[in-house]
Amino acid sequence: MITLSYQGKNTFLEAVNKKSGADVLECYQCGKCVSTCPVSNFMDFPPREIMQMIKLGLKEETQMANSMWFCLTCSACSGRCPREIDIPAVMEAVRHIAIEENYHSDNKQVKNIRKFHEIFLDMIKRYGRNYELRMMAEFNIRTRNLFKDMHLAPKALLKGKIPLGVKSMKSAKAIRKMYEMADKLEKQNK
Amino acid sequence: MKKVTYFPGCSAHGTSEEFDQTVKMVMKTLDVEMEEIPDWNCCGATSAHTMNESLAYALPLRNLVLAEKLSNDTMTIPCASCYQRLKVTKVHMDENPELAKKINTAVVGEGEYQGKVAVKSMLQYCYEDVGLEAIKAKVTNPISGMKLACYYGCLLTRPKAITQFDSPEYPMSMDNIIEALGAKATPFDFKTECCGASFSISDTEVVLQLSGKILEMAKESGAHGIVVACPLCQSNLDMRQPDIEKKFKVKYDLPVFYLTQLMALAFGFPKEKMMFAKHIVPVDGALAHIGEVIEEPKKPAKAKKAVQAESEVE
Repeated sequence: MITLSYQGKNTFLEAVNKKSGADVLECYQCGKCVSTCPVSNFMDFPPREIMQMIKLGLKEETQMANSMWFCLTCSACSGRCPREIDIPAVMEAVRHIAIEENYHSDNKQVKNIRKFHEIFLDMIKRYGRNYELRMMAEFNIRTRNLFKDMHLAPKALLKGKIPLGVKSMKSAKAIRKMYEMADKLEKQNK
Repeated sequence: MKKVTYFPGCSAHGTSEEFDQTVKMVMKTLDVEMEEIPDWNCCGATSAHTMNESLAYALPLRNLVLAEKLSNDTMTIPCASCYQRLKVTKVHMDENPELAKKINTAVVGEGEYQGKVAVKSMLQYCYEDVGLEAIKAKVTNPISGMKLACYYGCLLTRPKAITQFDSPEYPMSMDNIIEALGAKATPFDFKTECCGASFSISDTEVVLQLSGKILEMAKESGAHGIVVACPLCQSNLDMRQPDIEKKFKVKYDLPVFYLTQLMALAFGFPKEKMMFAKHIVPVDGALAHIGEVIEEPKKPAKAKKAVQAESEVE
């Protein structure tokens, strides 16, 4: 069972398949993933369309879409996929290619989502563990939205829901070294 | 006395301190000794696997390697997200020793990964290793009268190939534990829907919509409150609940309990120890139902008689 796919050499499809370990050509466009996906209404193209775009080799359109940035990796789609395709892994592969090859969407939501992940990883690099309050504050500063969630602050802080400090770990240095090594490994993977 | 390795995760020292505290109380009552991994690090959560695959494996791998230095054969993790990252790493490393070797080079000075420690969520450990009977045996103050919607979220049972635990569509392990404590688990169709996770910070609108639907369905199931076993699910459903109510002009008043808070309550610990003061949605209304008699909807008596009559004929 196949649907239309690009007949020439589809290097984009090959790259996605290799990275994800899935076979996008298996998709027969039933759309079960779309009806299952909790965030498909936020996506430029829902998972079914992304799969078809990869089959057709539409790299630019796929990489500039917001879809893979909204994917929550909740695995609801892959659990119900009749072709048993690991769709979250496909989304992740598309995301990693976007990062490696410097695709940057102008979409504000995508920018915020990327910024959030960068700040989170900065926190871990610095402390070895997540410093929740500082992460939220930095996100507000770096997205120029200082008052985001400020209405929650009095209650959350007074009740101790979000503590003021962080218990950082002793081997924070080892984590910084790990970041260096992981970056090297990523470059080898390219 | 059982022994198990414990990985608390970052939120245990932050937003979910009450989860950490009550896990410790419950495990002690269940005769399980927990040994915390010394100087553990963050699992990398969603951000690492979104941005950098090698880092997403290396951060959990360090914890797995450290866990192997302790003498226990199993480790348990309260946070569903940490659990998922450590279990994914374990499964992928065990399947692909070459990859494990490569990633191990980023875990500097801690030794080689051998794959000898099983990784289980706190829910899974309670259900499989401790067991319902042992839990039931420790109940001194049953929480009967409470109707609760058990919410598992996406990461405790999915993907099946990784978690190898319970059903990815309609799990029952938490429901069974809740009923062992004397409460009634309501039929709840949104058990494994996603709450929106880290979008709480990066795009709050997503969480308001996704968590809003979960609250709506929980209310519809007739529950007095929701039970969770994940810090992010708890903070999205609890801390964001006033915003959700405002946005959709509804009133839910559904407190969001950690499973272990209710276990500790049923095991006879005083209410003050549960840190309920940290909750944004007050819990007292739901707890006031303890001791009430729940009237079961009457089963059609006719059908039963008909079956009896039939068997008599035979």
